[in-house]
Order: sequence, then structure tokens, then C-alpha cells
Amino acid sequence: MACRSAWRVFYRRLASSAAEARISAAELRRLRNDVFSREQSRQHALIARTEKIEVTLDGPGLQGSLLVMNKGLSTPHSCAQHLTEWHVSNSALALVDGEPWSMNRPLTHSCSLTLLTFKDSDPIPVNKAYWRSCAALLGQVLENAFKEEFTIELLRSPEVPVISGAFCCDLVLDPKLDTWTPSDEALRSLTRDAQQLIQQNLPWEPLEVSPTVALEAFTHSRCKQEEVEERAAESPNGRVTLYRCGDHILLSGSPLVARTGLCSQYEVTALHSLSQGERGLHRRAQGLSLPLQLQAHHTIWRRLRKRAERLVEVSPPPAPETTPPASEAAPASPPSEMPPQIPPSTPQQ
Amino acid sequence: MRLSLSTLISHGRMARRMGLGPKSRIDMLRNILTGLVRHERLETTRARADEVRFYAEKLIDYAKKGDTDDQAMKMATFWLTEKDLVPKLFKVLAPRFQNHQKSYTRMARIPNRENLDRAPMAVLEYKGNPFPPLFTPKRDNELTLLNQLLKGYREEREQQAASKVD
Repeated sequence: MACRSAWRVFYRRLASSAAEARISAAELRRLRNDVFSREQSRQHALIARTEKIEVTLDGPGLQGSLLVMNKGLSTPHSCAQHLTEWHVSNSALALVDGEPWSMNRPLTHSCSLTLLTFKDSDPIPVNKAYWRSCAALLGQVLENAFKEEFTIELLRSPEVPVISGAFCCDLVLDPKLDTWTPSDEALRSLTRDAQQLIQQNLPWEPLEVSPTVALEAFTHSRCKQEEVEERAAESPNGRVTLYRCGDHILLSGSPLVARTGLCSQYEVTALHSLSQGERGLHRRAQGLSLPLQLQAHHTIWRRLRKRAERLVEVSPPPAPETTPPASEAAPASPPSEMPPQIPPSTPQQ
Repeated sequence: MRLSLSTLISHGRMARRMGLGPKSRIDMLRNILTGLVRHERLETTRARADEVRFYAEKLIDYAKKGDTDDQAMKMATFWLTEKDLVPKLFKVLAPRFQNHQKSYTRMARIPNRENLDRAPMAVLEYKGNPFPPLFTPKRDNELTLLNQLLKGYREEREQQAASKVD
């Protein structure tokens, strides 16, 4: 344990010294990708012999279907490929033995599998995963949108319930941009970037790694490293999950949906300035999105969009003193109506 | 032949020619209407269902005048060939539609007959019958993403309206 903490301190030192020598964003992306690919191939090489597992499928019309899959290689997506094309294109998330599981994450044991879509009778886990993924996509767009001379730090994005009307992504921009307020054209160009990513239909590839590997991937970003440590402390087995979408690596505590192509309507609606934080001016980017299966008429979309432009109030997540559910009775998100959506949004370990 | 003067002046809207002539047409429609009053839902060809629909609605209009009304009783005895249905018309159907102003029937298109003639078919029914519904309303779940967004939108609107009133 002591060895590990010493290692962390060492890495932070390394990070702070490396942060001075600014490296370009493309270089940074390449470095992170290298770490990700290396770890992925290392984990792949650990599977010396292919073992078989039995996957029992649950769902309408599939009761009792049994698939024999490869341990550590087959994903819920490959199970869906054994069914119909509808299952491949419509399932956004899987439930493995009752807990949410990303579509692209390999199965590790014999289990029961349910493929979830947006129109299920209980779409709450899919909705949450979708909202999280849209926020991740927004972060990816923002990170690539600015010129090389401006640094951008993505903070840990708050988990907002769907009913609050918009997903959020918190970030800190370069101090040179503190006075900048984004115009409508700027937001439109961000929307266009996001639409391009959606067009490419990139998968979110999950990879469970130990915190040391994650720290190595985020060597050049202090706040990401802190986030890694937080997440490692929160997760029960002390490991964190990295996701790769295209060439962007991100951290997420809970699973994301299968592909970017599941989004259909997507719009970046606002970029608000929050308070002055320790790293600079905190900003909150907001957006609105709907999946391909649930599209809205343009009149409805316009109203929802207008609502999504207003700032979404989020209570401070760690909540050291007062009880968070009572304090976060913001007008935009009444929590009493949605008890199942609230508890994960306020991690209070 | 229509039942009132305003529809008699048809302005080009002609009744369909069916059966062997006007009398045969009326007889056919009477038989179908009698079956409709007895069973409250039936299946015929689309043209016949469409024709008989008008008379079925008009008959209810007359029945709502009550069984003491001369004209109403005359219509009922003419259009219902089986006379045991006359009490049903006045005691069951007329009270059922007391609060309705119009459109007492519902028509649904169904696939063409699997016969040689492939005639287009339809189902005609009186509303409020005891059978399972023809159209099952398909509603999205309240918890879907779009419905949740809309719910949030409505709640916010209500709050704004309430704060404006105060």
C-alpha cells in the first residue's frame, strides 16, 4: 500500500513537471491511446486458452435461449449478433445478472443476459447511460474544438437526471478565454462536430484497468489524476474503467451505451460560466439529445431545446454537511418525483 | 334515398348503387342494420359498411326521441326486421348514447377478403359495446427518455404559471 501511494506521489511530481512543458493536444491523444492499446493487448494476451461460458438470454421472445460464448472475448454485442439485426442495432445496454454492463465489455462468467433498448418497460438504466454518454460525447467535442494554444481541462461531469432537461459537462478553459462568451455560431459549430462523431458511429470501448495504468494515461492532467483516485476509492474492487471513443479516452464510473450512432438529434445548447474554482473559471456546457428510436417533432424539440439552454442546477456531489436530497430541491429538477434516478447522482461514500 | 330533406338534395353526392335496384339495396341495408343492432359489431364489405353507417347513426338519433314518439317508432319498426330488437333499441342503445351528439358508430378497415373476389372488408360497430377494443391504444412508456424530458418541461411550466399567479 505504502509503495503504491509513494508511486502516486511520484507520478504527481512527474505530472506537475511535465505540465510545464506543454505538449500538443494531438500528441496527448496519441500518448493516451498508446497506453490504452497497450493495456488492452496485455489483457488480451492473458487469455491463453479459450474457455466456453453459457449465456442465458432473457427478454421478450428469448426466454431460455442459451448461447455458448467465449470467456473474456465475447461481448453482449456479439451475443446480439447471434440473434437478429434488430437486436444489434437497437440494444443500447445490457444487464448481466441484473447489473448494467456495457455492450462492448467482454463477459467473464456464465450469466443471464438481458439486452435493453430505449423503449423497454423499464428504460431507467438505459436513460441514465444515454445521458452519461451524451455528456461524454460533449466532452470529447469540446476537447477537440479549440485551437492548439488554448488548454482545456474536463472536470468530473455531474450526473444529472434526465428530467432536469439537459446533460452537462463541466470544464475549465484557458485563462485567456475567461472573458469569452460563446456566440450562437460557436455552439452551432460544436453541434456540427458532435454530429460528425455521431455519423462515424464509433463504439465506446470499455477497459477495466488498475489505477496505476489510468494515472499513466492521464499523466499530463492533474485534475484527471485526482478523478482517477476518487473513482478508484469509490469502486468496490479499486479498479477504474476507461472508455475509448475514436481517439478520445475518458473515465466513467458506470457503463456507457454501445455506439455514438444511437444518438440522432443532438445539439449543444449552452455554455454557462459558473463560479471561480481553484483551477480557473468553471464553465458548464449543456446539450440535448434524443436517440434514433425516440425522435421528437421539431416543435417539441424547439421547446425542449429552449429549456435546455437554462443552467441546470446541480448540488455539490460530495455533500459534506447537509443531507443532499433535501438541499438539491432546485426548481429544474424536483427529486421527489424521481426517486430511482437520484441516488446514483449523489455519490456519498 | 336519404332520411331527411337536406341530404336528399345531394349536390352530386350519390348513394352507391348496390344490390338489384333501390328496393333491393334498402332491404340489404335493413338486414345489415338489424344484425348490427343485435350483435353491435359486424364484418361486411367496406362499401356496405360505409352505406349502413349513415342509417345506423340516424336510427339512434330517432331512438333518442323516446318510444312514445310516433316517427321514432315508425323508423324502428321499418329498419329492424326482427321486432324483438325494438325494445333493445329504445331501452339499451338510446340511453347509452344520451350524452353523445353524433358518431355513435366506429368503422375499421380490415384486410381484403381471402376469397376469389378479394373484396375490401370493414368492421362496423356501435360504440360502448362489450367486446374487446378494435384499436388498442399504443402509448409509449411514461419512463422513456422523451417522455421524461416532456414531463420535466410540463412541471417547469406549471411552476412558472403558479409563480406568475402569486
